[in-house]
Amino acid sequence: MKDTFSTYHPLLNLLYFIGTIGVTVFVTHPVLLGISFVTAIIYSGVLRGFVKTLKFNLIFALPTMIIVALINPMFNHYGVTTLGYLSNGNPFTLESCVYGLVMAMMLACTLIWFACYTEVMTSDKFIYLFGKVIPSLSLVLSMCLRFVPMFVRQLNVISDGQKCVGRSASNGSVIKRAKHGITIFSILITWALENAIETADSMKCRGYGEKGRTAFSLYYFDRRDLACLLFMIATYGMTIWGAVQGYAYSSYNPIIIVEGLPLTLGSFLVFASYALFCLMPTMMELYDREMWKMRRKNIEKSAAGGFRLWEV
Amino acid sequence: MGSLDRMLEIRDLCFSYPTEEKRALNHVNLTVKEGEFIVLCGKSGCGKSTLLSHMKTPLTPHGKRKGEILFKGKPLHEMSNREQSQQIGFVLQNPDNQIVTDKVWHELAFGLESLGLPNEEIRIRVAEMASYFGIQGWFYKNVNELSGGQKQLLNLASIMAMHPDMLILDEPTSQLDPIAASDFLETVKKINRDMGTTIILTEHRLEDVFPAADKVIVMDKGEILAEGDPAYIGKTLKEQNHQMFLAMPVPMQIYSKVKSDEDCPITVRDGRQWLDHLCQEKGIEPVHKAAVMQKKKEKRVLLECQDVWFRYEKETPDVVKGLNMKLYEGEFYCLLGGNGTGKTTTLSLISRLRKPYRGKILLNGKDIRRYSDKELFRGYLGVLPQNPTTLFVKKTVELELYEMIGGIKEKKNDEFEIDMTKKEVVEGIVKLTHLEGLLHRHPYDLSGGEKQRLALAKILLLRPKVLLMDEPTKGLDSYFKEEFAQILRQLLAQGVTIFMISHDIEFCASFGDRCGLFFDGSIVATGIPVDFFTGNNFYTTAANRMARKYLPEAVTGKDVVEWLQKM
Repeated sequence: MKDTFSTYHPLLNLLYFIGTIGVTVFVTHPVLLGISFVTAIIYSGVLRGFVKTLKFNLIFALPTMIIVALINPMFNHYGVTTLGYLSNGNPFTLESCVYGLVMAMMLACTLIWFACYTEVMTSDKFIYLFGKVIPSLSLVLSMCLRFVPMFVRQLNVISDGQKCVGRSASNGSVIKRAKHGITIFSILITWALENAIETADSMKCRGYGEKGRTAFSLYYFDRRDLACLLFMIATYGMTIWGAVQGYAYSSYNPIIIVEGLPLTLGSFLVFASYALFCLMPTMMELYDREMWKMRRKNIEKSAAGGFRLWEV
Repeated sequence: MGSLDRMLEIRDLCFSYPTEEKRALNHVNLTVKEGEFIVLCGKSGCGKSTLLSHMKTPLTPHGKRKGEILFKGKPLHEMSNREQSQQIGFVLQNPDNQIVTDKVWHELAFGLESLGLPNEEIRIRVAEMASYFGIQGWFYKNVNELSGGQKQLLNLASIMAMHPDMLILDEPTSQLDPIAASDFLETVKKINRDMGTTIILTEHRLEDVFPAADKVIVMDKGEILAEGDPAYIGKTLKEQNHQMFLAMPVPMQIYSKVKSDEDCPITVRDGRQWLDHLCQEKGIEPVHKAAVMQKKKEKRVLLECQDVWFRYEKETPDVVKGLNMKLYEGEFYCLLGGNGTGKTTTLSLISRLRKPYRGKILLNGKDIRRYSDKELFRGYLGVLPQNPTTLFVKKTVELELYEMIGGIKEKKNDEFEIDMTKKEVVEGIVKLTHLEGLLHRHPYDLSGGEKQRLALAKILLLRPKVLLMDEPTKGLDSYFKEEFAQILRQLLAQGVTIFMISHDIEFCASFGDRCGLFFDGSIVATGIPVDFFTGNNFYTTAANRMARKYLPEAVTGKDVVEWLQKM
């Protein structure tokens, strides 16, 4: 199922992910990272279901976090608070430990955000956005997406055909198998090249190669998109402004400095606006679901008077 | 007549390909008026496709050319590619190769994008086309998810989106199943009717297009043999007693062999009326259906399916459901049935490409799974794939044949173990499959029928006892079918058993020993053609539909003709 934010203009989808991932990667402030982490998990849950998200996190994100959090203090020895000494005599410091945790968090966030990204930014949205910049590249991408599955299917057909003349690439001696594999591949290439001539004819017949090619898309930017864009600019602008002002400054070398805690008005604004920005798609989706529920209820209410025979 | 309503004029066109002496087109003259529906027919290689490709400059082949082609009074080659792509639409044979992009909606817009139309304009035109062709349901789909018929319809729609004045179609339905093919042709007719688009079409399925055709042009050896409305063509060809009749609809074929002064019937309906008149005139009484004596010959079962069940994945529905089938030694069995009923899957089960999850397939009394690959595929089963080009590896036909038996060198190896020289073997096969004279051609340069025969020759070099074929007559014209059938007859005479999947009712009726109807995962009816086809009302041959009132056991045109000639 598509979530609500996916139905917005692809440009907004792209900007949103650039925004969230940008802050996650370039800002090391623990609160911002925390917000990013939590909201990413929530959005991923909305998009892909919470069970799937949990599985993904346990399989990919958690091990990455542990490895990074452990490796950093092993190899970095900056910081003033020494907790002890490693066997090779290097100091083991609190600062590098904490920084390791921050890095781990950052990586995990990025992973989860990218998982969301692949759900929302489907190939045609990507092609559309690229088509605006480089039209010919977008056509090439679209053609790749057309031809690769076709070749895979044809490869299966050919290998079936070859199997039936006793030449399978899956049993026999290694040399024979390789030989049969090459035969299959060679047939595929010949077939592809031969058919490409007809594809080229078909493209020529439809005026390909004329000057001034445009890129058509089904997307258009409506008022809803504009409202969404303004909201994004406002919240994200606030976050960036605050960060530039130093409300969310953090540093781990040589001592740990984390600005904005306890909360000041400035830092609160930064955190709140970033949280709003990250939560935007989730809020849209939840609002939508609630709205449909209400509508259904209204319908059920108005229908309750008459024709539901099975409700005794 | 002004030149305004003349869409296309070809004046004295001669053309020959660079390396060939013979002219592919010889003094062709042709005038196409606006809004006409023109059907171009003739044997494969008669120059139809060459003529069509001259009607659009980017597709015109290289070679020596004389004569003039005028489009709306202007020489065609002076028109820019932009003008041509807007005004002349061209649909090619293969549905897959013409599609360029990955999404249906993008494909519809492709031509309009090339012409540089603004987004809003494209949006309207795409919407228009999707509505007219009924594409809304699959508008957002990926093109690989479509069926062959949908793909070809998409090709047509994406060309019609450019609003051409003239539409050229080069055997557009040769790769489609009968139902998709007649749907497609109906759409073409509708375009001609609703939009007045001029249509020039080459086609094997003449019974579907003849009723709509304003003009039929018969070509032979690069020349125009006859030109006129379908009934006129029927009369002319009858007078000339020309072999082109083989390709005509069945009612016309029957008409051609029987003395009659009436107009030539074109559809089955016309044919029935014509037969009524004829029978009343001559006082012929209907024959009652004779009880056909089943010749009970005890034959050995060569291949047997016992309660075979198959599905592709655990969650997907069953494709083959409790299939029971016997294939007797030396017979020619045809399996008919609609698209997507599981015929091809059945073939892949028999050829052991896939394994049933329940049930057994016995070959010569032994479970098929117990054979080694070499035993099974070299000496027992020969499988002719649907697309013959999937077997072609080499540069020439000759090398292609030798490749099958382990190279051109005369020495025995594990792919060649019999006591004959390879040369003798290959010569024998070449003679059997009529490939003489083609040995030095590139396999891809052969025509459809020749490719099919080469693939068959390659399979036969493995000396199979059972030949399994998946729609071997797809896209072949009637001459190639006839030739192909002759080869199969020779094989049968040599004791080879043939199992064939087909949509081609006429072919199966004429040449099969037994036919089976496949539906919903298993075989629902089996019988010898006379029983099988006379019992069905819809799923039967055109000859039977036409003559069943008088001669219930008529299955082929030949049956009707023989009966009428006896009277």
